[in-house]
Amino acid sequence: MKTAIDETEHLFGDMSLWQSMLDRQRELFIEMDSGSRLGFVSREASGILPGKHREGVQVVTEVPMMAWEIENGGMSVRIERFAGLAATRVDVLLVADREAMETMLAALGGDMLKTIKQLIRRGNIMFFLFKNKTQLQDAGYEDFLESLGLAFIGACR
Amino acid sequence: MTEIVVTRPGEAKLNHLFKPGRVGKFEVKNRIKYGACCVSNYNGRDGSITPRELARVRVIAGTGCGLITNQGAYPDPWGEGKAYFRQVAIHDDKFLPQFEMIARYIHDAGAMAMQQILHAGRYGGIDLGYCIQPSVVPQTLPHFRPPREMTKEQIAVTVQQHADAARRAIRAGFDATEITSFMGYLLANFNSRFTNQRSDEYGGSVQNRGRFMRELIDAIKQATPDHPLSVRLNGAELMDKWGGNTQDESFELMQQAVDCGVDMISVTVGWQEAPESSFGRDVEPGYWNFLSEKAKRMFPNTLVAFGNRLPDPAMANQCVKDNIFDYWEICRPLLADPELIHKAAEDRMEEVRPCIGSLNCLSRLFRDLPYTCTMNPMLGHEVEPEYHVTEATEKKRVMVIGAGPAGMEAAITARRRGHTVTVFDKADKIGGNLAAYAANDLARPADLQGVIDYYGVMAKKLGVEVRLNTEANAKFMRSILHEYDACIVAAGARTDLESFKYMPGSETLIDALDVAHGRKTVGKRVVMIGGGMIGLTISEFLQKAGHEVTVIEKDKRVGGDIMPTFKWRHTAWVDELGIKTICSAQLLKVTAEGATVKTAKGEEILVPCDNVIVSSPRRANHDLFYEFQWMIDELHGGGDATVPRGLDAAIQEGYKLGVRI
Repeated sequence: MKTAIDETEHLFGDMSLWQSMLDRQRELFIEMDSGSRLGFVSREASGILPGKHREGVQVVTEVPMMAWEIENGGMSVRIERFAGLAATRVDVLLVADREAMETMLAALGGDMLKTIKQLIRRGNIMFFLFKNKTQLQDAGYEDFLESLGLAFIGACR
Repeated sequence: MTEIVVTRPGEAKLNHLFKPGRVGKFEVKNRIKYGACCVSNYNGRDGSITPRELARVRVIAGTGCGLITNQGAYPDPWGEGKAYFRQVAIHDDKFLPQFEMIARYIHDAGAMAMQQILHAGRYGGIDLGYCIQPSVVPQTLPHFRPPREMTKEQIAVTVQQHADAARRAIRAGFDATEITSFMGYLLANFNSRFTNQRSDEYGGSVQNRGRFMRELIDAIKQATPDHPLSVRLNGAELMDKWGGNTQDESFELMQQAVDCGVDMISVTVGWQEAPESSFGRDVEPGYWNFLSEKAKRMFPNTLVAFGNRLPDPAMANQCVKDNIFDYWEICRPLLADPELIHKAAEDRMEEVRPCIGSLNCLSRLFRDLPYTCTMNPMLGHEVEPEYHVTEATEKKRVMVIGAGPAGMEAAITARRRGHTVTVFDKADKIGGNLAAYAANDLARPADLQGVIDYYGVMAKKLGVEVRLNTEANAKFMRSILHEYDACIVAAGARTDLESFKYMPGSETLIDALDVAHGRKTVGKRVVMIGGGMIGLTISEFLQKAGHEVTVIEKDKRVGGDIMPTFKWRHTAWVDELGIKTICSAQLLKVTAEGATVKTAKGEEILVPCDNVIVSSPRRANHDLFYEFQWMIDELHGGGDATVPRGLDAAIQEGYKLGVRI
């Protein structure tokens, strides 16, 4: 019998393709501290729906999360369990809807970060930060987050 | 109602704007409300009001607005509502003396005084390790603090703090108070589906989400029954994609506020974390008027104030006439020119220093700095005599080299002090490279051209002589030897083509400034060296005109020298227009086939193109300093001629030279 993890491993696709993509972008992660972590979850699976983030906070059913973590000087990818926003040990969480997941999988061989940036702007990917500006700067996130089009410092526009 | 007495020509033209009004029992001399759009960050870390702030408020009081809203003060003693490091506080009577002074300044200027109470909620707790919200919704902007959910007891305390703050403001002499949801503060957090997912009586339906607002209004109305209350509410959050309120829900919440008896609805647009512009330079003036129009249509018996991206008094006059709003709420254009209302009243609009929407003010605030203004070098320095334009003790004959923003600012400021000033420029018009930048700007060329027009008008009005088509060099200087006492070199910066001198194909490189000024044209396929402000601006213009542009940038990202509040706009244009970028790369050679670049990985890539344009690096035009140093008594430099930067630095330095020389 398949577990929930297996199902969403399928949703995130082949991890080796993600790893290849991250290896191609390694320049972007050079300044990030070891242990820096990002998570991707499916909007539908996690329950973190627009206007219903509370359910995501209080999620009781563990769902798969694709974790990116700085290890040995590079960004590694693997599937972990997501047990709600409060219990998840990540610095940045990206919540992708079904369209975003499909678009990302199709873009794995190309410029994935540009694709993610576009999906964030279109609202297909929501993101949440669990560290403040200083902590993220100190951990070397600025280049990466700006490459995703996030207003790292500027806000009102 | 007092009959309008027209004494100034502009008041007759803008007769709807300058018509007296009434807010509650208070008569208001015109239909202009100074909006508390920005916190200055000029105050003490403990929320106390400083002499710097008081000097600034005296200027605000004198703007000519009929109703002046003093900047938002946080109402709680812990600083959970504090959004900015040096925001003012109103949680204790110890702050009263300064508030009394501010109310007096406003009244002395003949205006109605309103105090805004600002609890920042999701954007608060700036000195703390957390912020408070209706529900725990993590932050999307790293500037802000991790959230904690408010208990019902905290909600009750917060409501009481707002009522106490309102009572305190009235005791200080203010006539009215205002609460604000503007850009995603606590009130907005309760109102919005995005941040309010409570399951108790404060969450769920629009009616429940609006409960906190209704309790605030009730409590303040009870605390200050004889004094009007304004509520700033989003007509559009621009957070729909993230689960925020729809416009219908926003107006349903306004209806609740009206039903509770608020005296004024101030309609606003957008949250700080919204993914699109609400008042940046890329938004057409008047774009959001439909929200105010809808509010006025829905609530004909409640005063409506509005001013988002509406910098022009003539447009505002028409809006009052057309019943789109009752009060023009204005702030940022009055940061740029505190005399704007007086100039409008005197029909001298051509003399207004325009707000160009660069949002330098906000860029500074989000670096925890006091706000300043690109266009107004005095802003924030009102308390310092050194920044004031005073008559020069010794009147000098001043020559200014360069008719760009730095040179023109220095020229008109020096002239206002009584110096005799002549500006020299080799071009056939003033504006320098700003004119070229304006011509290529995708946002609103008229804004930047307005800066040049302003300098042209003021130079003429003040009697600054401008000699165009005159190149200043050593030979020229010898021809006018001893005619001037002081020289300001504001000759700008140039593209440093010399740094490519030994590169194969360097003779084919085209200077970006030649393209921007229209002196040279380029083929279909273009490579732009440099992805900074100049390179991107020209690339965007060319790409939109049908060229195929590839930007080569030596840094890891493009747009490194662009102001934070506008950088996102350029990077979004790059994506939207399909401009290719190659970062961490340098130009190796140019051949008939195209440009060969070397990437950070050491790879050599041929980018086929017809022309290679160079926008970076830039080099300050220092040469004249060395040539002139033994030819004139005083020699000064400013703007890009000292270090290449941008419009902000050019105007600030030009002004500083003008007030000191």
